[in-house]
Amino acid sequence: MIVIVAVLTIAIGFYMAWNIGANDAANSMATSYGSGALTLKQIIIIASILEFTGAVLYGKKVTHTIAKGIVPIDSLAPHIVALGALAAILSASIWITIATYYHLPVSTTHSIVGAMVGFGIASVSQNYLTIGDIKWDVLYRIVMSWILSPIVGAILAFLLFTIIKITIIDRYNVNRVERVFRYLQILTASYMAFAHGSNDVANATGPMTAALRFLGNEAPTWVLLIGGIGIAVGIATWGWRVIETVGNRITELTPSRGFSAEFATATTVLFASSVGMPISTTHTLVGSVIGVGLAGGLASVDLTILKRIIASWLLTVPVAAGITMAVYTMMVVFA
Amino acid sequence: MKFVRSVTDVFGYSPFEDLHRHAELCGNAVEKLIEQFQASVDGDFEKVKSLEKEIDSMEYQADKIKHEIRGNVTKSLLMPVDRQDLLQFLKVQDSIIDNTEHVAHMIAYREFSVDGEIRELMLNLLRKIEETVREYERLVDHMKKLIATSFSKKEIKDAIGHVPVVEELEHQCDKIQIEIHRRIFNSKQDNFLELILLNEIVVKLGEIANSAARSADSFRSMILGR
Repeated sequence: MIVIVAVLTIAIGFYMAWNIGANDAANSMATSYGSGALTLKQIIIIASILEFTGAVLYGKKVTHTIAKGIVPIDSLAPHIVALGALAAILSASIWITIATYYHLPVSTTHSIVGAMVGFGIASVSQNYLTIGDIKWDVLYRIVMSWILSPIVGAILAFLLFTIIKITIIDRYNVNRVERVFRYLQILTASYMAFAHGSNDVANATGPMTAALRFLGNEAPTWVLLIGGIGIAVGIATWGWRVIETVGNRITELTPSRGFSAEFATATTVLFASSVGMPISTTHTLVGSVIGVGLAGGLASVDLTILKRIIASWLLTVPVAAGITMAVYTMMVVFA
Repeated sequence: MKFVRSVTDVFGYSPFEDLHRHAELCGNAVEKLIEQFQASVDGDFEKVKSLEKEIDSMEYQADKIKHEIRGNVTKSLLMPVDRQDLLQFLKVQDSIIDNTEHVAHMIAYREFSVDGEIRELMLNLLRKIEETVREYERLVDHMKKLIATSFSKKEIKDAIGHVPVVEELEHQCDKIQIEIHRRIFNSKQDNFLELILLNEIVVKLGEIANSAARSADSFRSMILGR
């Protein structure tokens, strides 16, 4: 029974990883396509390899946070944890699929965190845990990291672009500068893919790890491999369309601007991964683009997206938690 | 495309391309105005009428662009220039083509004859106005590069270097205009209606050049007021 639940969790986790590759990874990489730094084929190859590498080499900490940071799964029976993880990944996937259909700028990270909270609350209602057992302090830190990451992205991008402007753009012919940055953007695109893989893979592998709790205390490394492969497959099978669509619409992000935004985003995300904080790469990228805009690097930035992002936070966490509570309760009652 | 979550919404509407198209319409309308006056001098009133229509439709296009810009430049946009400065600039630039259209209608009010010397001066004035507006267009042309360099000092200097040139050309227009007025009021011709119309036309022509100079000034304020 527990094996079936774990296998189902892995299967849905693979779908989640695919979805992350298809949408979020694609968005992160589209800036390099929009500026003409890389061809679609090159982007898909770079993104697949480096998302995978980032996930496998650097994805462990965030995975740990999602798996056991919020709900203390070690004090629960393994079969309860497995059901909870399945409910969480299923609910987050359902919500992400619905939201994507309606073009809502939701984050897979927020969905999975909300879902894990839902699992925690549901197990409180069934007296497996007390309300104080849920690690609210970790949740608080995660929420703070969601607020801080776009701001940090914006500040880094602002500073970076300002430095580039004063030291390079002001001194040399702008066309030549952009040509050089086209090459540099190959590096930041790789950096971005690595950072993104290291953070977002956990949205798939966190619940997978929790479901496999019955195998022992340590998360098996092959879980990260599955997550990495899922993301790579997502980029190759669907993400390329998203890269094309998004890239063609953001051509005003010239290589020097794209470089600044990507570098700032990747640095913020990689730092978050190193301290085990699950953050939204897409929201951080939006922050970074605004930072470049604040530095005078863009013709026009529309700040209404901030309202939509905040609304999507406020919506995603309770909705994902709510669906999880319902799904989990049904599973426990019927299983 | 369905099943996409994307970051594209962060990129807002950029008014600068539309502003440039609007400025180009201003220059092209003045060019047509010269043709129209020449047709009037040649006594080809059919052509005068058809050019009036053409200039009128150019003004209508410019108006559409103006409304497009005003409707899209919302407060939520973060642009490298101040929103109010931009809208003020647009308003002044629009008066260039408004005045041009006004003159086009006046030339088409009736057939009239202009004596040789005044006619030459009128053509001089029109050519000078075109030169002024074209120089003004060169200034506005800099917007693209200003954005590409994110308003580098050198680019700003190059751009605002056009402003005194526009002002100087406008001053030369003034001088020709004064000369024409003097001749009109000392004219031996006794068709007062024609003289009044001619005088009105010259006043309005002066306003085209004035608008170009004021618009150049607004442009400078806009890029320096960042």
